[in-house]
Amino acid sequence: MTVLPTGPGGRRALSLAVLILLQAACAAFFLGDVLIDFEATAANDLAHVWVEGVVSLALVAAIVLQLIELRHVMQRTERAEQGIRAARGEMQALIGQFFDDWALTPAERDVALLVLKGIDNEGIAALRGTAAGTVRAQTAAVYGKAGVDGRAQLLSLFMEELFADDSPDDRAPTARTGSGNG
Amino acid sequence: MTASAPGAPGEGGRPGARDIPVWDPLVRLIHWSVALAVLLNATVLDPEGRPHEVAGYAVAGLVAVRLAWGLIGPGPARFATFPPNPAAALRHLRHWRAGAGTVHLSHNPLGALMVYNLWLTLLALVVTGVMMGTIRFFGIQWVEEAHEMAFDWLMISVALHVGGVVIDTLRTGVPLVRAMVTGRKRVPAGARVR
Repeated sequence: MTVLPTGPGGRRALSLAVLILLQAACAAFFLGDVLIDFEATAANDLAHVWVEGVVSLALVAAIVLQLIELRHVMQRTERAEQGIRAARGEMQALIGQFFDDWALTPAERDVALLVLKGIDNEGIAALRGTAAGTVRAQTAAVYGKAGVDGRAQLLSLFMEELFADDSPDDRAPTARTGSGNG
Repeated sequence: MTASAPGAPGEGGRPGARDIPVWDPLVRLIHWSVALAVLLNATVLDPEGRPHEVAGYAVAGLVAVRLAWGLIGPGPARFATFPPNPAAALRHLRHWRAGAGTVHLSHNPLGALMVYNLWLTLLALVVTGVMMGTIRFFGIQWVEEAHEMAFDWLMISVALHVGGVVIDTLRTGVPLVRAMVTGRKRVPAGARVR
């Protein structure tokens, strides 16, 4: 059971919620206190009570603003998650499209996908229950059909596709080819 | 009524069950904090003591935030999603007995009535409690009686609330307590969702 949120947006929402509730409990306490003081204080001493009252109301206003902020944080998180889901789906579609273009056989598709997931040849052989030699032959066929000379170049094909797809808010350098993992 | 065969393929687990986010962190925190404060005030805290008052104020603040959240919060938390509707609640009760289970992502119509009832009762408790601390109402009989009556009604309501949760969990197959902890309702495959 995941009680605590996982993403940064979720964590931020949670801490904001805790903060709001602590302040709300305090505000209720102060406001109640002000009411009781108001009644118990002689008319000439009321200035002090008024100040307390105004401060309490300011706290309430702050809480309302934080509630609105919390709503925004939650909406942003939701949008971001939707974006990630969409991107994941698109990535899958893109990979499938490349595989189609290269006319990979079903076995080669499986192997290629496992290569993209970073599993080495022995691991793939173990997963698929085949000999390491078979996997070597299959990966070689995949690299040949894709026109690359190995695992790293195969990956960079997809990386390039990701970088080329510039979103409107960062249309900065798109030509970031080459080995860019510092 | 639903088209799904109850024991579809005997896959043991819950193949098509969906985990749908329903209760945001604020709603969950408020729920369990109020439950804790009520539990403390009803059992261990001295009714005459300061901690009893502080817990009462905390409940007031929590309920106030929840009511504000009912106006500006996300869908499932909004009043508009579960308006108080006695006719719908009665219909829900009839369907219940007839055995048709619809999963409501927010409160079901009967549960909604209980929620409003709990909020009103808690507010009545807080108001009468604060009144007992003022000079004007201190020691006045009817205020104390109202506070105690509200408390008794709250206990009855809590019992009904817990009973409703148990029955609804059994009927719809959605573990409701888990939903109020994790925020997600696990809706069984083929259930009608509203």
